[in-house]
Amino acid sequence: MIVATRKPFTEIKDLVSGHRKILIVGCGTCVSVCLAGGEIEVSILASQLRIALGLEGDDVQIDEAIVERQCNREFLVLLGKKKNMTDYDVIVSMACGAGVQLLGDVYDQKPVVPALNTVFIGIEEGPGIWAERCQSCGNCVLGETGDICPITMCPKGLLNGPCSGSRHGRCEVNPEIECAWVKIYDRLAARGDLERISKVLPPRKNSRRAHPAVATHEAYKRRFVKDEKIV
Amino acid sequence: MTKDELSTEIKYPPCKLACPILTDVREYIQLIAERRFEEALASIRNLNPLPRVCGRICTHPCEAACKRGQVDEPIAIPALKRFAADGPWKGRYKAIMPDKSTGQKVAVVGSGPAGLAAAHDLALLGHHVTIFEALPVLGGMLRVGVPAYRLPKNVVDEEIQAILDLGVEVKTGVRIGEEIKLTDLSEQGYKAVFVAIGAHKDRKLGIAGEDGFEGVVSAVSFLKAVNQGENPKVGKKVAVIGGGNTAVDSARCLLRMGAETVHMVYRRSRDEMPAAKEEIEEAIHEGVQVSYLTSPVEIFGEDGNVSALRCIKNELGEPDVSGRRIPKSVPGSEFTIDVDMVIAAIGQAPDSSFLDNELTERDKRIYVEDPYALMTTHPGVFAGGDAVTGPATVVEAISAGKRAGISIDLYLRGEPLPTTEQMEAVETAKLSPALIEKTRKFARCSKISLPAEARLKGFDEVDAVLSEDLATKEALRCLHCFLGARIDKEKCISCLTCVRVCPLGIPTTTKMGEIAIDPFACQACGMCVLECPVRAIDISLDPHSKIAREIEWAISRSQQVEPVIVGFFDLHGNFRSSDVESLRQDYPNILPVMVFGLRRVDTSDILKAFEFGADGVLLAGCPSDTDPFPETADRVKRRMAHARTMLEALGIDGARLEVCDMPDEGLVEKELIDGLIQRIKGPGQAR
Repeated sequence: MIVATRKPFTEIKDLVSGHRKILIVGCGTCVSVCLAGGEIEVSILASQLRIALGLEGDDVQIDEAIVERQCNREFLVLLGKKKNMTDYDVIVSMACGAGVQLLGDVYDQKPVVPALNTVFIGIEEGPGIWAERCQSCGNCVLGETGDICPITMCPKGLLNGPCSGSRHGRCEVNPEIECAWVKIYDRLAARGDLERISKVLPPRKNSRRAHPAVATHEAYKRRFVKDEKIV
Repeated sequence: MTKDELSTEIKYPPCKLACPILTDVREYIQLIAERRFEEALASIRNLNPLPRVCGRICTHPCEAACKRGQVDEPIAIPALKRFAADGPWKGRYKAIMPDKSTGQKVAVVGSGPAGLAAAHDLALLGHHVTIFEALPVLGGMLRVGVPAYRLPKNVVDEEIQAILDLGVEVKTGVRIGEEIKLTDLSEQGYKAVFVAIGAHKDRKLGIAGEDGFEGVVSAVSFLKAVNQGENPKVGKKVAVIGGGNTAVDSARCLLRMGAETVHMVYRRSRDEMPAAKEEIEEAIHEGVQVSYLTSPVEIFGEDGNVSALRCIKNELGEPDVSGRRIPKSVPGSEFTIDVDMVIAAIGQAPDSSFLDNELTERDKRIYVEDPYALMTTHPGVFAGGDAVTGPATVVEAISAGKRAGISIDLYLRGEPLPTTEQMEAVETAKLSPALIEKTRKFARCSKISLPAEARLKGFDEVDAVLSEDLATKEALRCLHCFLGARIDKEKCISCLTCVRVCPLGIPTTTKMGEIAIDPFACQACGMCVLECPVRAIDISLDPHSKIAREIEWAISRSQQVEPVIVGFFDLHGNFRSSDVESLRQDYPNILPVMVFGLRRVDTSDILKAFEFGADGVLLAGCPSDTDPFPETADRVKRRMAHARTMLEALGIDGARLEVCDMPDEGLVEKELIDGLIQRIKGPGQAR
């Protein structure tokens, strides 16, 4: 899941300053689950803006909306059927960076501003706690590393470790963090698969991570290539 | 309704389902918990014209079904009903009268609970009802059967008066079948008749000596005499034969009237005894002796008076059709007890001799074609209560009266009568041992009763009504069956937050990866409602939208006394309704919103309060010893800390949000409110 956190209020307030009619759009998927941009957070931000702008004597109109997923064009078009988008001076998106951009594409006449900082792809560790687990490097090595990602879990992103900065199972970069390679060693050992750790992993193929990345399923048309025949 | 429908569609709480008249027990208990006592009474009274009677003598099948009973002890439902019905607000209930009369005349024969309930309902449907009562007093067994120490006569009289006030006419001292025949009634313009004559004829013991001596008395005639103040002659050593409520009532009356020893003789063991358990316990507490597994064999006399009762011991054999084990006498186990009076209380039948040839009888009871519609073989003549079922409970009689009311109304309008299969007793679902373990236990309120010596001096009522403190505390023990979390499957994204935050582990994942919440097991704490990131869960007890609405409503009717403070108060605190009143008096600027736990208040609710114009927000939680979910307290505190951060981001002093625990008694400490007001008014504030 994509994890995001809300921007400080003052930053959001600056982004909308000067605007009178504001629409706040939440996203019903990843950022709802990580308590950053769902229905509840939309309601809280709306209250905050109404109070803050009201205190400054501004006569503002702040509306709230939520869409299923801001990363799908169809849901954003649906939003336009529920709300008259031309009414608003600014749209505040409470989605991840991807959602903000697509919202901006669909309603390109309006300024769309983000209310969240998208932070990582991760998992839920417990109620209210999320942790990074994947950097979407396009070169997955988890099969060799006991299902523990050294790119993400090792602050240095070492493909062959541990380094000499590993101390009693902790990392020299931040002693709060466990050494990813010690964990990899322990897990492989526990599985009786320790042989694997002596295997030297080749350098990362950064070409696979060209930006902006595009993933196309073979059975579908390729992007940017017109009139290609599908077999 | 059928059993299938119940399990899928109709989610009645077990207490309601157990009640013959489907009293919404859960509703009035919740209203008592919310200190809305008048509304609690209205909730009961709308359905039941005799709440003060039922609050005292109902056999409360609701209690046996109560979910709380699986955890510790069931809610003291009758005591709460009596509290709601007996309070100083009792005179304020007003029935909703019909717009106009139908002009139809209905005769009700008998003024016991069945007749009264039918008269009440029919009057409210606009019919003109006349009650014919053979005795000089109204109330049937309530008046002449149940002793005053259990049911004071003024209570019966007052409840009857409220029914008569609906325009019901009364003719006492008229025995239908004697002066006026049943058939005469239709000639007098009565379009329908409800026969509810009860079961006032005691069965004979059928043993030698029963008819030969002075001092062998039937229980009904004895209780009738006692209850009508006739002061009947009472022996020194008395045997009461039988194990039902009539037997226990007779025994307890005898002690109050000067009998030295009272000996109950019952043929089975204590477990099979049909009298209410509490009644048996009270009787023994007062000094009644009980010989179980004993049958009377012969009554002996001297000089025409009873002198002794010969008995034989029994052992229990195979169960009979009623499921109770048949007593078999043990040869050679005879013994004799010295007595100078014997009371026969082995069951009653209707005294319908005077209705001869007019109504069909079966098993010495009046026969009705359908147990729901209650019409006899005689068109337009309906019958119900003890006369049809044999001796039963007051609530069953009321139920029969209400059913007769519906049938007679349909009959008078020429519509078909309802027929329904008897509702099967549905057993309360069992809670898992893990859930029982996790559920916080709260002691049931204890009864306040007169000491035994004081009781025997007269017929003063034994049990006292609950105080407001005890009643609210007891009502708050309710576990809110079927009022808990409901998931909107359309909105749910299976994020598992509810699974993680539930203090009782109720939400589970299905094989399809969906979330399921058992609506019976859920206790409506409300944690998941606020934590659900997509607002897919709501709750029937204090729905989230209700709290938001209440904030807006409270602020809209504020008297603009500054600073305006929205105060959330946890209903689980030890306070009285008068504490809320005096808060309104002393601090008109505080707008109270009552909630079932601060768990119900969200960060967004607090911001809403400020948005609507509040200058401050006060949250008062109950002391931890009364909190049913203390493990959630930490989560609530963190939520409030988050709300403070959100406020401070706006330049509003976070100290305008005060979170506190309620004192051990009362609503909130005055110093605390004054402190909050000072902080809001103080210099250098943003607002």
